[in-house]
Amino acid sequence: MKKTAIIYCLMFLIPGIGIGNPEAIEPVFEQPILLTSAGQNAEVQLVSVLAKRAGLTFTLSKLATAAELADKKTLVLSIGASMKGLGAAGLDVKQEKTRITDLVKAAQDKKIPIFCLHLGGEARRGQLTDELITLLIPLSQAVIVVNSGNQDGIFTRLCEEYNIPLVGVNRVVDALKPIKDAFK
Amino acid sequence: MLLAIISSCATEKSLPPPNDPHKPYNYSARNGMVVAAHPLAAQAGLDVLQHGGNAIDAAVATALALNAAEPFASGIGGGGFMVIYLAESKKTTVINYREKAPAAASADMFLENGEVNNTWRRNHGLAVAVPGALAGWTHALNKYGTWKLAEVIQGAIRIAEEGFIVSKTFSKINKDEYEKLLLIGGEASCYLNDGFPYEQGDTFRNPDLAAFFVRLAEKGMDDFYRGDTAQKIAAAIQAKRGVLTTEDLAEYRVIEHPPLTGSYKDFKLFTTPPPSCGGLFIQQLLNIIENWPVKDWGHNSASYIHHFSEALRIVFADKARYLGDPDFVSVPIKYLISKTYAADIAALIQPDRPLSDYPYGEFDELADRKENTTHLCVIDKAGNIVSLTQSINMFFGTGIVPENTGFILNNHMADFSPDPESPNAPGPGKRPVSNMGPLILFHQGKPLLALGSPGGTRIFSSLTQIIINIAEFGMSLDEAIEAPRFFSYSSQGRARNLSVEARIPPDIITALENMGQKITIREDYDKYFGGAQGIMIPAGKKVIFGGADSRRDGQGAGY
Repeated sequence: MKKTAIIYCLMFLIPGIGIGNPEAIEPVFEQPILLTSAGQNAEVQLVSVLAKRAGLTFTLSKLATAAELADKKTLVLSIGASMKGLGAAGLDVKQEKTRITDLVKAAQDKKIPIFCLHLGGEARRGQLTDELITLLIPLSQAVIVVNSGNQDGIFTRLCEEYNIPLVGVNRVVDALKPIKDAFK
Repeated sequence: MLLAIISSCATEKSLPPPNDPHKPYNYSARNGMVVAAHPLAAQAGLDVLQHGGNAIDAAVATALALNAAEPFASGIGGGGFMVIYLAESKKTTVINYREKAPAAASADMFLENGEVNNTWRRNHGLAVAVPGALAGWTHALNKYGTWKLAEVIQGAIRIAEEGFIVSKTFSKINKDEYEKLLLIGGEASCYLNDGFPYEQGDTFRNPDLAAFFVRLAEKGMDDFYRGDTAQKIAAAIQAKRGVLTTEDLAEYRVIEHPPLTGSYKDFKLFTTPPPSCGGLFIQQLLNIIENWPVKDWGHNSASYIHHFSEALRIVFADKARYLGDPDFVSVPIKYLISKTYAADIAALIQPDRPLSDYPYGEFDELADRKENTTHLCVIDKAGNIVSLTQSINMFFGTGIVPENTGFILNNHMADFSPDPESPNAPGPGKRPVSNMGPLILFHQGKPLLALGSPGGTRIFSSLTQIIINIAEFGMSLDEAIEAPRFFSYSSQGRARNLSVEARIPPDIITALENMGQKITIREDYDKYFGGAQGIMIPAGKKVIFGGADSRRDGQGAGY
């Protein structure tokens, strides 16, 4: 109930966000960007290269905290849990979930919109990733997914339920244009 | 016991492999066979056999082809071990072409302000050990082969030039290691597709590797260890703040030595001795298991998995305590593989709960995540056999590619312990302890099974499970390879989780949990547990069987 209330508040507070064409993302996001992964996945580097090629101004911080949102206008999350990545970062699942929850809460408090990407495809799905998807997609203002990661329709279902623009791409490189288009 | 093995294999028919890669399938042939982690590599080896090359020629051709077809797991920038059985002389020998530490290595080289710097150990110039692969392959060809390097390399050149369709396995590993490739090689890395990972279905070509192999065919091994390529290797490593020099490359030498031998009931094992510890610990595990009625317990029963997992934890404690390069430290091999010591361990293990203490183990949990390395087996018409495991350590090694060569340099310095007091601490010219364990199993004096696997620290656990699946549970070779696996270890005296493939039934998991085992459930067919390849030669039959692991892209090819 509380979560739903926050989402509705955000939809009204951030103009142009929340209801959109499912085939495209309107240019509603602003720069500079704070980029981090939710789940310490390797795909955050893919997002980083895509953002660079899109000419966006961003900071990549794998362990981003609320303090790093200070001068930022968009929070970009690369969703996907990697046990290898968590181990390398010295985090357990609970610590990572706490970090992300705190970060998202801080973004909401500052009215900073959240842009989620899942670029790992089918291989980057699983129980923990699904928990992150279920937690984060309803709080986001736009989503890009590599289609093989959405074969069961989880992203489609959540985005329809919460009226969030969703773009599906077949290949990682295809995400470049919708990312570019999503920023003012 | 053996009758069951022969009959289970003899029912296999020469049908095409099933669409479901996980369905057990034994490749069959009458004259010769190659099993390897990529179909193009297996075919490259088979081409050599069919054109008159022997098993050694075909094994080297396959090893080179794997550099082109499975470049993330092994190659000329790494090293390995080869067990060779020569049919005419009935002699078995081991070629050790494990990498060596450079002369500037020191016991505390991975400590920064007293803390271990894991980046230096894994993704850095300091992580590169002197590659031994080319020296090993050349030694094998010169001494036991019939073809020249310039001839056996042709298949690898073709694969690198023409390319191949990227598999799901390749794409997933490429994505998993993207950050390393990006940070080390940049968006222009030859292992990225215009700066992004390769997707399943893309075509991967490596023109730099093809051109390098053409030069190698012309110039031979000296160019790699003393010529232009040596200069490029040293320059690439030093550019990433490593200490390996052209002198280190020029000093590299292969070792050939007798195999480590042991037994399980009426089977005899021939495998690699330290610094490869895989064979040693397969034998130790087999010795321990010999004390238990595993056949009565049943395959992957709770009792079997529990006892096996406890044995593994004690083996890991021994590994940390004793293992190092035998050229530099004394390894008590005879003691570790004695039947008496195994009986003592078996008696120590409690049937209903894990032990409270496993002394001496200090295990590197991050290194435990490695799934890397590759294995191949070859048998020729004359009955010569090669069982070969090789690696560049972690997938895509350091990610460092010497200029215009297309091959990746290993990060095998990470196989040294960062603890300066460890018997496996780095030092000038030392070989790091390896988990590899290529083996040949004999029965009544005749080779029955060639086997090996990648999988880091899971290697000796997985190979022992396969041997027991065949010897005790009567499985065919590929049934034994595809059967659900498990793994456990100890670290700093404490039991760590028991990892199992998700195919282990829930009631068995519950029974294990009731015994006090903490369980980690992994994928149904998880490459964490390795990717074994094997060849079985049933006595009295004119047919050879091959098994290739569906946890990777394994395939057999025979004629």
